[in-house]
Order: sequence, then structure tokens, then C-alpha cells
Amino acid sequence: MTHLAGFGAALPGTVVANAALAEEFQVPEEWILSVTGIRERRRAAGQETPASLAEAAARIALDASGLLPTQLGAIVVGSGSSPRQFPGISAELQRRLAAPGIPAFDVPLASSGSLVALALAADLAPRYGPVLVAGAEVMSRILDRPPRSKETSILFGDGAGAVVVAPGPGPVELTDVRFACDGALGDDLSLEPGAPLVMNGRTVILQASRKLPAAVRDLLGRAGLLPADIDLFVFHQANLVLLRQVAKSLAVDESRLFVNVDRYGNTSAASLLVALSEAAGQGLLRPGKRVVLGAFGAGFSWGAALLTVRG
Amino acid sequence: MASLHDTIRQTLEPLAQAPIPDDPDASLFDLGVIDSFGLMDAIAQLEEALGVKVPDSDLNPRRFETLAKVERYFASRLASGG
Repeated sequence: MTHLAGFGAALPGTVVANAALAEEFQVPEEWILSVTGIRERRRAAGQETPASLAEAAARIALDASGLLPTQLGAIVVGSGSSPRQFPGISAELQRRLAAPGIPAFDVPLASSGSLVALALAADLAPRYGPVLVAGAEVMSRILDRPPRSKETSILFGDGAGAVVVAPGPGPVELTDVRFACDGALGDDLSLEPGAPLVMNGRTVILQASRKLPAAVRDLLGRAGLLPADIDLFVFHQANLVLLRQVAKSLAVDESRLFVNVDRYGNTSAASLLVALSEAAGQGLLRPGKRVVLGAFGAGFSWGAALLTVRG
Repeated sequence: MASLHDTIRQTLEPLAQAPIPDDPDASLFDLGVIDSFGLMDAIAQLEEALGVKVPDSDLNPRRFETLAKVERYFASRLASGG
């Protein structure tokens, strides 16, 4: 058994509102809002990197957990925008946290990376000790590769989130987590070194709208629960319209969705942990609540987790 | 009994965001008849209307881009027993 001991998030200070992108791509601001639900997103400054944002989020999560970096059992980072092919962000994060010797590795899955990292952490924590999981992205540097695409530029933002997965029981129990992959349509969301992001939005939406609700139902079925038994759904903040579609498919009211995509855009692998950190900060993880996490992204890879908040 | 062609048109009609074209090879996406999010609903409605299940492996928008492709796909599913 494991629990989530502390949460953190770090967003760059620079805000890019829809107006700027509307002007760049000669589209109405209202169109951007209607197809994405996004009003603004954050953009990393020149000196900010996925590792620096991950460090900021990690330090908040570690403080909340009452742990020093040297007390960690492992570090796992989910990201699709690592500036280097190797070593990954996790090694730099470990260096920044001054925690030499702590095992650190990366899960290079855009959007679903932090959910998969969370699943791995649940297995690692009982054996290695508390695991720092971070999701960190600087998508803007990928989006800036020419030719800039309207469809991706309006969608993505930069940021990082973090959580500490600790062994044993605790107030926020990680009750179950599952993930899966289907590589058949992997080319529809992909990134070659130095090349622009490839995203066939229709395929991503079609697959996510089917697979994410199915993953949630399967996960809940293992616990003898139904979507109606869940108090809060914290999903990867892909796109508000997609989140609503998933809620509709699960037959749950949209009021049970945690939403911050309007303020940060789609921060890929960071978004799940940024959203979870904000949900915790808003006091939404109250005793007695059941919370479902879910993500879908490159691979395609997807998964879901069940949290049970104990009294 | 309605033909497959008619059932598909009748099922898509309430979901269409623009007039459904007469040309069976016209792109439903380019004409704005169905957007990315409407496609999932359209497939779900067609599954119900025709009593067939579209497996995840077939959830590729290119299969459903035109009326002709939609009709071909569902004809093949029906022929194979759904």
C-alpha cells in the first residue's frame, strides 16, 4: 500500500492569452476558446527548463511531505519535451535536489507520463522508500519549431507538477493504478528529434474519448465501484471539450471534473500533477472522498488511478 | 426497411453541423459536417442504429471521413456479423 504524501506545482510567470495567438494565426479569440476551453497558457522564460520547473514543483511537494531530497527512495519524471535525448530530466532534477545516489529515471510519454510514473512509483515505494514523481514540460520550445501550427500552438502550455508517493497507509491512499498502451496509431501523436510536433487531433480525440472512460470503468470495476461513486475526477487537462466528452461517456456530472485547462492550457505530462496539486490546495481531497485520476497521451498510452481519502 | 445508406444519413442528420453533402466522396470533416468531437458521438449513434460495435482498433478518423467510407465500413462490419 502507498499514499500520496505531498503535492506541488510550478508554472512559469509569462501568460500567453488567446488574443496573442488569435492575432498570430488570424483566427477569432472565441474560436480558440470554443474548441479548447483554454483562455490562457504559460510560457517558460529563456532560463527555465523542464528540470528547473520540476525542481520548483518538487521542492513544494517535498516540503509538504516533510521529507528532505536525500530521504527519497527514487525519482521518476514524466515528460515529452526533454531538451536532451539523454540523460533525461530526472538526472538533472536529482542533481538540482542534491540527492546523489538516489535512483532516477524518466518516462518519456507526453501527456500520460506522470500517470505512468505514478503507477511505477506505487510499485517502487514499498521497496525503495518515498518516490518523488514529477511531470514537467516546456512545450513552447517544441511549438516554436517552424512551421508553427495553429492547432498545437493554441493548445499547449508549460509547467510542472510533483507528488511524493510514500509507502504504507496515509490520508490520501493510492488505492489502485493501471496503465496500458496501443502502439497501432502511435504516429498520430509523435515527435522526432528536432522536428515539429505531429498531432492528428481527430485520432487523438477519437481514441481518448473511448479509451479513457473504458480505463476508468475497468479500474473502478476492480474495486467494485461505479463512476457515480466517485466524488472528483482529475484528468490530464487535454482540452475542455474532451474532458466534457469523457464525463458524458461516464455519465457523471461535469461538476465532478477538476478543470484548470482554461488557465494553463494542455501542459502534457505536467497537467495531471498540476491539477492534482491545485485540487489538494483547494481542499478537495477531503476525508471520505474517492478521487479518480486519468490520462491519455502519446503511444497511445493511457491509464487511471483511484485515490481514497481516509478520515 | 431502410437501406444502409439511408440509415447512415438519418443517423448523422441530427448530429450534422452543416448540410450533409450529396457527394458520397466529399469530406465530412472539410465541410464541417462533423467535427473532431462530434465524430465520437456519430460513431456511437451509428453503432446503436446498426447494431454493430466498432472496435478500438478501427477508431481511425480516416475510415469515417466520407459517406462512402462510412457506408463501406459498416457494410463490411455487418457482413462479418458485427
